Amino acid sequence: MKIEALGKPAGCKLIRITAELDEGIIRSISIRGDFFASPEEGFEKAEQRLSGTKAAELGPRFDQYLAEEGVEAQGISGDGLAEVFNAALKRSIL
Amino acid sequence: MNTHPFRLLETGYHNGCYNMGLDEALLESVAAGAMPCIRLYGWRPAAVSLGCFQGIEEEVDVTACKKHGVDVVRRISGGGAVFHQAELTYSIIMTNTHALAEQDINRSYARFCAGIIEGLKLLGVEAEFVPINDILAGDRKISGNAQTRRMGCILQHGTILLNNDVDLMFELLRVPPEKMKDQIIKDVKNRVTSLRALGKDISMEEASKALAEGFRRTLTLDLSPADPTAAEEQRGRELAVEKFGARDWLYKR
Repeated sequence: MKIEALGKPAGCKLIRITAELDEGIIRSISIRGDFFASPEEGFEKAEQRLSGTKAAELGPRFDQYLAEEGVEAQGISGDGLAEVFNAALKRSIL
Repeated sequence: MNTHPFRLLETGYHNGCYNMGLDEALLESVAAGAMPCIRLYGWRPAAVSLGCFQGIEEEVDVTACKKHGVDVVRRISGGGAVFHQAELTYSIIMTNTHALAEQDINRSYARFCAGIIEGLKLLGVEAEFVPINDILAGDRKISGNAQTRRMGCILQHGTILLNNDVDLMFELLRVPPEKMKDQIIKDVKNRVTSLRALGKDISMEEASKALAEGFRRTLTLDLSPADPTAAEEQRGRELAVEKFGARDWLYKR
């Protein structure tokens, strides 16, 4: 199932997500938007590491991978990312 | 009070790829030990700069940009897409260990944006910093700012709008309604202002002088007017072609 999501949760900038979901597992994900993250390379590694993650764990895993890659982010968070993703998932299921 | 030696580089008007190439070249140079700097510049031709993490097709009408002769370039900093036309752009670059470098990014934005607010005050405009990265005059955005950290350095660049062709801006940029969700002014076209719209007919030279003075006062700088070194300019040209002019970079998202 392909998920296309767009949203601006409280405390976040605009977040766009394109993801491929299979039996509750994120097979691939692209996160875009007007948030900030330094270093950029660390953000890309964290984003790539989300492939294979359970959709239900997207938020905490994103925060964990950003921390492990030494990324400082503003305008995006695990909670914000999960909120945008889950809202689109709910719409696509209903 | 101790002052901080900074170069003041007024580099004039350039195209988008060179502007972003020179900013990165200066960051590399400061990382390698060069004196920190404030750079003031403009864009010719006009350009749209895209935030590092934005998807190009969903944020910018590339066909409309081509039609109007507007460059499109991707920045190394995050943030949103910006239409650079009649505006003054600055960059401020220093090492992470510099006395003026706040480790907390939010406090760092506030510190550097205070220089812009002071500069605007010198031009007769009262403005306020609104986290994360905006400066508003009368609830409308007059300056956007974006910071990145790499190679042990901080680079913040941003703009002061001198004038603003709002209709053209929103022909070139695709702004979803969700972006305006938490803004006081919901109409995207009314969200932006400029010195001209505020009744101030300010030239690039006047704005540059005021902004440099704003930074000098708020950051207690000892500014030395200079040109980028030949090596910095050469590296800027290389990055303009090899990185910012490359399709892989522009279309990476």
